[in-house]
Amino acid sequence: MPSLKQITTKIKSVRSTRRIMGAMKLIAAVRLQKAQAALMAYRPYSDAYRDVVLNVAALSESEDHPLLRVPEEKTNLHVLFFTSDRGLCGSFNSALIRNMQRYVEEQSEVFGNIKLSFVGRRGRDYFSRNGLTTGKYYTGVNEKNSRKFSEELAAALTEEFRVGESDEIVLAYNHFVSAISQKMTFERLLPLSAQEADDGGAESSSDYIFEPEKERIIGSILPKYVQVRIERAMNESLTSEHAARMTAMENATSNADEVIAKLTLLFNKTRQAIITTELMDIVNGTEAQKGGNE
Amino acid sequence: MAEKLRLKIITPEKLVFDGEVEELVAPGQMGEFGVLPGHVPFLSVLHPGRLRFKTEESGENTLIIHGGLADIKDDTISILTDQSEDPEEVDVAAARKDAEGFQRELDELQDAEPSQREELDKKLRIARARAGE
Repeated sequence: MPSLKQITTKIKSVRSTRRIMGAMKLIAAVRLQKAQAALMAYRPYSDAYRDVVLNVAALSESEDHPLLRVPEEKTNLHVLFFTSDRGLCGSFNSALIRNMQRYVEEQSEVFGNIKLSFVGRRGRDYFSRNGLTTGKYYTGVNEKNSRKFSEELAAALTEEFRVGESDEIVLAYNHFVSAISQKMTFERLLPLSAQEADDGGAESSSDYIFEPEKERIIGSILPKYVQVRIERAMNESLTSEHAARMTAMENATSNADEVIAKLTLLFNKTRQAIITTELMDIVNGTEAQKGGNE
Repeated sequence: MAEKLRLKIITPEKLVFDGEVEELVAPGQMGEFGVLPGHVPFLSVLHPGRLRFKTEESGENTLIIHGGLADIKDDTISILTDQSEDPEEVDVAAARKDAEGFQRELDELQDAEPSQREELDKKLRIARARAGE
């Protein structure tokens, strides 16, 4: 049986861990709230942008712009994988990585060469250990600099697609559904025209007026669209991360509470046992003395 | 006129406006254009400038937009812009000064890269729109 001192030390250490977890939970909750508000505001914009671009793409020929190019062969797949930089967010990263692995296995039957780029340290650490060809790597992305990072990424990715280095670019990120639910999503960023089919019946281009000419519109909105989608994925991923961390810390706090309750019980029991032993000693002692006197 | 237009003004930060309007005038890249109900499908790139629209409740409204896109389809107008501002909240004097500064810079950069000039031109247009010129 552990001594009282050992138990008190243990309780103290669990208490201080609990305090840290509690603080992390609160921080995650505040950041989640902010990120969620930003995401909710960003969604209508990026969705509307997507609608416009898909509409234009459906009305265009693949020759109209390099970004509408339909690769003849599917050889090079480039996946941009969003994870978090830091841990302590439950199964957030491990679930992402597991899905990603399955996806890579599936796609390797279609594409000859798969390249992974990363936003977030966790995904990179895992896949570089496992020897997959890795492309770019970004870390330290947060709500404040997501625009800047997405612009940089968009420029690099569009260029890559334009010169034919990649035949398809996919974003892999956690889609934020609610604070307790996030869903991993694989979204094809480029080529655009392959999405036409599920866009449904677009009007014929003769009905649509473009100002300036269609080619110039495409040239100015397509690169922006790529940036918007990447920024959206960043926001979704960040919000999901905060939500996952909040849930994980919440669980950890209540686990710690349980451990503290158990330890306190053990402490009381031990204390009781010690008192009982001491009492028995005293009673035994006095009984023995009585016997001696008689 | 019974028919109305549905107008949505969306920025990355928020949905600025979503409601019915009778008429809209927007700063297109090829010049200002007006939209009335029954307009043909239309897509235009917008310059930074002033967006004016008329609603039944509040009459004539003006917003400063920092460039963007206008998509008009089935009497629904979506304006996608990086940023929008209420003209009444703008410091006109400062904006005017900015505009002058950008103009001077632009004059000096006659033979700079086109992309650089374009960016400056956009800044200048934003400043002018804010100054109400």
